[in-house]
Amino acid sequence: MELAYTPEQQAFRAEVRAWMAAHVPPEPLKTLEGREGYDQHVAWERTLASGNWGMVTWPEAYGGRGLDLIRWLIFEEEYWRAGAPLRANQNGIFLLGPTIMEYGTDEQKARFLTPMAKGEVMWAQAWSEPNAGSDMAAIRSRAMRDGDDYVISGQKTWSSRAAFADWCFGLFRTEEWSQRHKGLSFILLPLDSPGVTIRPIRQLHGETGFAEIFFDEVRVPVANRIAGEGEGWAVAMATAGFERGLMLRSPARFQMAAKRLVELYRTHADTAAPGAREAVLQAWTDAEAYALNTYQVAATVMAGGHIGAEASLNKIFWSELDRALHRTAMSLLGAAAELRTLPGCEANAWLEGYIFSLSGPIYAGSNEIQRNIIAERLLGLPRKGAG
Amino acid sequence: MDFRLTLDQIELRDAVRDYLDGEHGPERLRRLDEQGGRDPAVWDGLVGMGLTGLLVPEEEGGLGLGLVEAALVAIELGRADVSEPIVDSALVAPPFLMPEERAKVAVGELKAALAHPVNPWIADLDQADILLPRQPLPDPVKLGSVDPLRRLFAPSPSTVRPERSRGARPSETEAVSASLDGSVSTSLDTNGENDILDRAALMAAAQLIGASERMLQLATEYAKQREQFGQPIGAFQAVKHLLATVAVKIEFARPLALRAAWTLQEGQPRAPVHISMAKLAAADAATLAAETAIQVHGAMGYTYEVDLHYWMKRTWALAGAWGDRAFHLRRIDDAVIGGGIAIGPDQTFESELARA
Repeated sequence: MELAYTPEQQAFRAEVRAWMAAHVPPEPLKTLEGREGYDQHVAWERTLASGNWGMVTWPEAYGGRGLDLIRWLIFEEEYWRAGAPLRANQNGIFLLGPTIMEYGTDEQKARFLTPMAKGEVMWAQAWSEPNAGSDMAAIRSRAMRDGDDYVISGQKTWSSRAAFADWCFGLFRTEEWSQRHKGLSFILLPLDSPGVTIRPIRQLHGETGFAEIFFDEVRVPVANRIAGEGEGWAVAMATAGFERGLMLRSPARFQMAAKRLVELYRTHADTAAPGAREAVLQAWTDAEAYALNTYQVAATVMAGGHIGAEASLNKIFWSELDRALHRTAMSLLGAAAELRTLPGCEANAWLEGYIFSLSGPIYAGSNEIQRNIIAERLLGLPRKGAG
Repeated sequence: MDFRLTLDQIELRDAVRDYLDGEHGPERLRRLDEQGGRDPAVWDGLVGMGLTGLLVPEEEGGLGLGLVEAALVAIELGRADVSEPIVDSALVAPPFLMPEERAKVAVGELKAALAHPVNPWIADLDQADILLPRQPLPDPVKLGSVDPLRRLFAPSPSTVRPERSRGARPSETEAVSASLDGSVSTSLDTNGENDILDRAALMAAAQLIGASERMLQLATEYAKQREQFGQPIGAFQAVKHLLATVAVKIEFARPLALRAAWTLQEGQPRAPVHISMAKLAAADAATLAAETAIQVHGAMGYTYEVDLHYWMKRTWALAGAWGDRAFHLRRIDDAVIGGGIAIGPDQTFESELARA
């Protein structure tokens, strides 16, 4: 154990810090969940790519810098410290990217990863269906083989930013009467393909941050399938692992939020509820614990270890931390919490953050599903429950 | 930057765990309970493992290891509910002893008891050869503990100074803030009292993590065996979710304790704050583990017949020992809200020393 950065790692931090200081937009962008804000965020993705910061852990051949996970964590720390915008392409770079890296062919890597790192192609995911949410193996959307194409029919839902994105990746049934986890394939397709209809869904905050996708005999080349036909479930589980695990929610995000919460407390100490002070300290301690745990996991992965069901511990922790942190901020704001804009601010970021934090325990597999995974796969409790 | 344990550290941890699994199981706890809590054979076994020499330099006959190793061993001692005064004597006291005293600790011939105003007791005073901070050994006046395997004694009046006990701001946080300006070094305070507290609080946190893991394991095993409605109760989601929540709590308490051990070992000014965060998280995890474990055991958990109670009571004891929740929250408060340390995503491993 050696909990100190090397001089090279410190120099890397300084490099990221200097670049962020020169490039991060001085004014916050509009929300990523609406059209105007989304376009601003895509422009930021391209700015990042111009500095070669799109995805620092990817090989240089695919638009990355070939850096290890410790540098990625340092990058993220400086990214959040600088107040840089949310990543418009998070579905692509954090979920699909690692999946293609693990399961894709060399041709697929060259074709999909580079435009992703350069911010040229934005991705949405197409997993859940109206009757397949927590029970994802219940999906029915079909992709039937016809020569060198699949013909896709069906419906996907809760697809984040599908209303704005260019491509989607998802899980489709490629074997006609297959059941549950069998006969599924992982397929990528452009959202402007003939036969695709997108119906935006208004979210809790009023913006159309996610959408339903309807497929009506959409033709997709077989070359767009990741891994073998019928192997989709295993690929999707790996993607879900990335989502719950290391990449999607880097600890710096919560450390930055906790730091802002401490500052908010200082200006509201006189009117704070008796328990608020303790909640602030708890949020800070939890954010630190999450960061330390991530460094531990990163070191394990760098040494060739794997994250399996442990990702579920992670997902529960960050999502509940995020919700508690923002709940505390709302309590500190008191009667001002409901206002969409706060004096001197374009938006009430705490309110937006609180609303968003309520989705954390639901997406990427609800926390109830995560608790089942922990109980069954880490603690070894029996799989089948009552009924 | 590498948060992995080294192979040597893993080997040490596994060796201690295996030894205690074999020699210090529940039957041992029940026997100790019947005979007053201590057994020279247990002490001799720990000495034989070399654990009393863990922190003693090699030239004084010890293993010369660091606080990370000590914390790993303390986790195992907590997992096995070891009650001999090995933590106080071998994992806390050595830096405050003379070389010849340390040599005796290494071979198991000297036991140190620790006094601090945050504790209204001194543990294992009756068998101590030395009391730290240095003072004459008072007559041991026994106090009762809820934990049948703890042996506590009334402190002498000199160790309890009302103005420094609960309610007053502890001076160690002042020392932390001061050291950040570079004006105060991390050297021992005049009588070592606060350094003793930091080390003891760190080791209490480590033991609490070990105890949490054991209680989770006991409850999980019980849930697999106990059948109701024709199936193991562990098949019910209500039970699964209780236990999963405990697993999450423990998972995120552990790295806080390891970082605290590292920063204290390296003499970093933030060590006291890191120790407080570790103690807070470990005590919370253990308290949740204890309450969940008794709930999963049902009425059996409320009996003296199920071994769970030993770890549960040790949890209650250690949660309050060496600074309770209020004490450690105040230290975090001074650092974080009070501005004693800079905070932010780039500060996780800030040592302050590197800048000098």
